[in-house]
Amino acid sequence: MSAIIKLQNVTFDYPSGDVKQIRALESLSLTIEEGEYIALIGPNGSGKSTLARHLNAILLPTAGEVRVDGFLTTREEHRWEIRRRVGMVFQNPDNQIVATTVEEDVAFGLENLGVETPVIARRVAEALEMVGLQSLRNHAPHLLSGGQKQRLAIAGVIAMRPRCLVLDEPTAMLDPRGRREVLETVMKMNRQEGITVVHITHFMEEILEADRVIVMDRGKIVHQGTPAEIFSGELDLYSLGLEVPIIPKLIQMLRSGGLNIPAGVLNVDELVNFLC
Amino acid sequence: MLIETRNLTHIYMPGTPFQVEALKGINLGIERGEFVGIIGETGSGKSTLVQHFNGLLRPNSGEVLLEGRNIWAGEINLRQIRSRVALLFQFPEHQLFEETVFKDVAFGPRNLGLDGEELEGRVRYGLELMGLDYQAYKDRSPFNLSGGEKRRVAMAGILAMKPEVVILDEPSAGMDPSGRRHLLEQIETLHREENLTVVLVTHNMDEVSRLAKRLFVFSGGQLVLQGSPAEVFNSTAIIKEIGLDLPPLTALLQKLKESGQNIRTDLFSLEEAGKEILQHYQGG
Repeated sequence: MSAIIKLQNVTFDYPSGDVKQIRALESLSLTIEEGEYIALIGPNGSGKSTLARHLNAILLPTAGEVRVDGFLTTREEHRWEIRRRVGMVFQNPDNQIVATTVEEDVAFGLENLGVETPVIARRVAEALEMVGLQSLRNHAPHLLSGGQKQRLAIAGVIAMRPRCLVLDEPTAMLDPRGRREVLETVMKMNRQEGITVVHITHFMEEILEADRVIVMDRGKIVHQGTPAEIFSGELDLYSLGLEVPIIPKLIQMLRSGGLNIPAGVLNVDELVNFLC
Repeated sequence: MLIETRNLTHIYMPGTPFQVEALKGINLGIERGEFVGIIGETGSGKSTLVQHFNGLLRPNSGEVLLEGRNIWAGEINLRQIRSRVALLFQFPEHQLFEETVFKDVAFGPRNLGLDGEELEGRVRYGLELMGLDYQAYKDRSPFNLSGGEKRRVAMAGILAMKPEVVILDEPSAGMDPSGRRHLLEQIETLHREENLTVVLVTHNMDEVSRLAKRLFVFSGGQLVLQGSPAEVFNSTAIIKEIGLDLPPLTALLQKLKESGQNIRTDLFSLEEAGKEILQHYQGG
């Protein structure tokens, strides 16, 4: 594996008019490997979104540096290369729609890049296929469900062929069905297409499939590990304002009650398989 | 009966090609001091229903009764109804509008005719229930708060009116786990200690199965199922058919039962479910 994104001692202060500056990131270092699925968790205000916005040069570090595939985010002439490599999807699906049909919405970014029309058509079709929206290509985006809108936003980013997808709470405003659709799509992008994923979420059960979980608090990375390590019970997530999902919590309880459940077991099906 | 609907029907944009029958002849009742949950897929009519409870929406036919009185008959006092039956919307931060936290929280109680020390007391009461220090927050602008803080200020404004019923429509969407936990703990405490009636509209089956004593299940504008969490979530066929998830613990217990264990499936707390599983599998 090779690193796709490298943050070194990144500090970021939000400029503020009336009150003192707010430090959102504190000398943070992180290396993201190509093809990794990273889940980023932490309480409100811990710096997760600020960190995400550094990954494609929406925000620039106050001190330290961020490199994407070797390109420095602070160099203006590098930004184009960086944004081609790292695509972002945000929380509110309604704020990310720009066109009147699904197809045009996906084509928007490519048109702006000046890509030739036949290439655009092919890439749009591929991207819609990947997120499972090809049958809705002529629909009006505002009539889609929340989950479909977020998959559309992902298609728009995927059509640009990024190597890394950064998702900032993409499921926060969705119902369970929409959340499932989006999670399955993101997982597919990672597992089948090899796209690096950085997924910020407040839903603890959404991080169970990640390769690596990063826990942030007050602008710093305070823990990282596999989901099994994060939910093993040794980490005090509660005092960080986080929570262990109910099934891993139950597994901790069953272990202390004498059942010898192996470390990789984290969800209902795995637990049923172990018990039966 | 504190809140009751009789044959409640609601149609959006009636008489147009876009007409949608959002609620079809709903009959239900909620007693004072109950904690009920309303579940169903997006578009099933949940939010439309609860907006009738405090007169935000008016039925096209049928009745909504508060303590036996049709709220749309005779002399209508919606302001009074809304102070008794308070609704916390999804994304309540959109409900904030004043220039200070004090004014925002005071808005509701002031409309009830309170002022001076009594008003200040109510603002303090609301903020402190939501874990916000009165002195630290009262003069801040609500727009400079974090998402979780905004949510709590909006909730403080509602609790400051000391309503008899609180309706929470997806109260925890977008909140971090500690904010969610805090909000629900406060509501549960008010329910237990001050007999607050709570109506929780949610997609979180785990939360609602542990908090609510009775559930109403909606699908396609109809009330398809009601009962205790055990009754509702053991009606597995209906729950699956209308596209709802089971609470994770229930899903687990049911799968263990399907595999041949004579195990209880009506347990919703971690402790009870854990004990039950240990009894069946310990050493086995």
